[in-house]
Amino acid sequence: MTKKTNNGKRRALPKSAIATAVVMRLYIASSAPNSMLAIANLEAICKEHLSDQFTLEIVDVLESPERALADGILVTPSLAKLSPSPIAKIIGNLNDRVSVLHALGIT
Amino acid sequence: MRSLKNPRLALNGRLRASVKNEGLASTILRLGKNAPESLAIQSGEIDAIIDPHNGHVILLPEAQAALVEGKARFRSLVELSTDGYWEQDEQYRFVSHTGAAIGNTQAGTGILGKTLWELSFDDGQQIDWPTYRTQLAWRAIFRDLELRCLDQHGELRIISISGEPLFAVDGGFKGYRGITRDVTDRVLLQSAAPVFEPFASTILDSLAAQVCVLDADGTIVKANVAWRALAAAHRGDGADVSEGSNYLSLCDQLVGNEHVDAIAMAAGVRRVIAGERELFRYEYFCGAREPRYVVASVTRLRNDEKARAIVSYEDITQIKQSEQLLRLECVVARCLADADSTTAALPALIQAVCKTLRWDCGQYFRSDSESELLHLEHSWGRSSAVVARFLARSKGATIRFGAGVSGRVCVSGEPLWIQSSSTQALIPTQAHEIDLNTGANASTEMHMDGTFAFPVVAEGRVLGVLTFAAETIREPDDRLLQTVRSIGSQLGQFLLRQQLIESLRQSESHLQRLIALSSNWTWEQDSEFRFTKFVGTTMSGCGSVLGKTLWELPSMVLDDENEWIRHKSEVRARWSYCDFEYATQLPEGQRRCYRISGEPLYDAGGAFIGFHGTGLEIRRTESR
Repeated sequence: MTKKTNNGKRRALPKSAIATAVVMRLYIASSAPNSMLAIANLEAICKEHLSDQFTLEIVDVLESPERALADGILVTPSLAKLSPSPIAKIIGNLNDRVSVLHALGIT
Repeated sequence: MRSLKNPRLALNGRLRASVKNEGLASTILRLGKNAPESLAIQSGEIDAIIDPHNGHVILLPEAQAALVEGKARFRSLVELSTDGYWEQDEQYRFVSHTGAAIGNTQAGTGILGKTLWELSFDDGQQIDWPTYRTQLAWRAIFRDLELRCLDQHGELRIISISGEPLFAVDGGFKGYRGITRDVTDRVLLQSAAPVFEPFASTILDSLAAQVCVLDADGTIVKANVAWRALAAAHRGDGADVSEGSNYLSLCDQLVGNEHVDAIAMAAGVRRVIAGERELFRYEYFCGAREPRYVVASVTRLRNDEKARAIVSYEDITQIKQSEQLLRLECVVARCLADADSTTAALPALIQAVCKTLRWDCGQYFRSDSESELLHLEHSWGRSSAVVARFLARSKGATIRFGAGVSGRVCVSGEPLWIQSSSTQALIPTQAHEIDLNTGANASTEMHMDGTFAFPVVAEGRVLGVLTFAAETIREPDDRLLQTVRSIGSQLGQFLLRQQLIESLRQSESHLQRLIALSSNWTWEQDSEFRFTKFVGTTMSGCGSVLGKTLWELPSMVLDDENEWIRHKSEVRARWSYCDFEYATQLPEGQRRCYRISGEPLYDAGGAFIGFHGTGLEIRRTESR
């Protein structure tokens, strides 16, 4: 089961999955083209490689710019891998699938 | 690849209109040339930049253009589906409004900054504001709140408004947004026309005809009140035609006299349902004791998936009976016109009445005012041993004036009847009347307890009474009374005419006898004065006179030439002449003298057609 959150709403995974789940936060700018592309790319990657072992929070910086500022995000779209360690940050529309998988620690 | 030296940046007006491009450029420069953000910007993968100093979000031009386009597209779609779009703040004050619905109304003038209840509406007193405000307080979605207001032209507009609450990311209430629609036409149409279903049912129920609606299988899906009454009446017969039962199955099951009609109806219904016919009409007679004519119509229904045909039964008994009575009047008129005697006319007339009105037998009683008795003169009855016996027993019957139905009709000059199966038959019926005269117990035997009698009238006198008996006699309606009065009058005229003809015939016979006593022959001539007819003793020595004039006869003696010339002149002048004397010479030398009188004849158009007259032998003379 894919667990996706939108607009800062987080949904919890089953307890058995929490230990290995990848926790991510995607910063977007509403429905701007690159932001939409980043969501689509990340969804495809999660579906293919993470099954339901992930938590994703999507933050719209037009709605919550303070969240981006607090997390040190300067541009959107940006994806932050929060856990497991090491944390990572991927900037752009996530078209470079290899770099994204590498940053998420999947390959 | 986009150049960073002159970045084409645009501000997100929704957020920070005051942000300067210069500040953004310095922000980007602070990212560092080879920073990942800079590289991403160069590769065109970035939508927005966040200023780390103040948190301002700056959309790059492509992203901003896309968002503007998306918003425009959304508004366009909203405008297509609604008449207006609006937003309110957390105090329910309008902060934006697009579209024409409220904006064009007087109520919508100056809408921004006001709540909905602060605007004036045509029906402001009737709007349930407390409920509306409770919905807002509960942050509930509200739909189709109808508001009446006047537009710029002073015409009534009805606006439907719907809205939903808006919440911030942190869950805080931000206000409402929603749409408006102009529903004036729809509401006015609905208020003008009743809702169809009850309306249609009311119309169906108000019809006198029995109406039902069938589906494709022939099942009755809808029936009006008259049909339901019919169904209730037939329920005891095992024929269920109520809603939910199958009309075609019932038709297929019917037996007896109704079987043929039911088969025909079922075939017609099936053809209409199948679309082979638009309309099927079937007229039939039913009811053994109470005659009833019915016309059934089956009409195809279009554009309805469930209903396929409408079946209606209409009682046309009154129309049919009226047609029959009209036909009877024509038949009676023809009978009387064709008949050359009362003996021929009356049985034919009685027969026509009996057959048309389904009565068993009828009798004509002639009125004799001197003896104050009605004499039975003519009768007719249907082929039945009982009827024949009854008629045979009533031969020569007489009824006193004022006695029984016929006697009372004779005295009153008005039709009178006793209904069949009447329990209040205080007046003796026809059968009882005959019983009084014959002593026969015919009424019980015939089972004809109904009698109808009406007078035969001419010149204000009752010439006789026509009396009919049957077990199907009912109280007559105005149309039947009108018909019997007409028949009585026609027959009266006929009888009077026959009486006059008989008198004339007797008078003519009397005259002929007188002529025969006063002359030897009668004669007729054509317009050329040639004999065309000669009745009586012939003139001696003249042979055949036909085709000859008087002066052309072979043995005519012309002693006085001037007398003949004068006679010819008078005849040619078409004058009547009297006692013109002439003589004929017989072979033995004897003479015969004659006296002839004549007068001219004219046809109906006034044209001269000849002479007619009489002749007399006046003396015999010896030959000279």
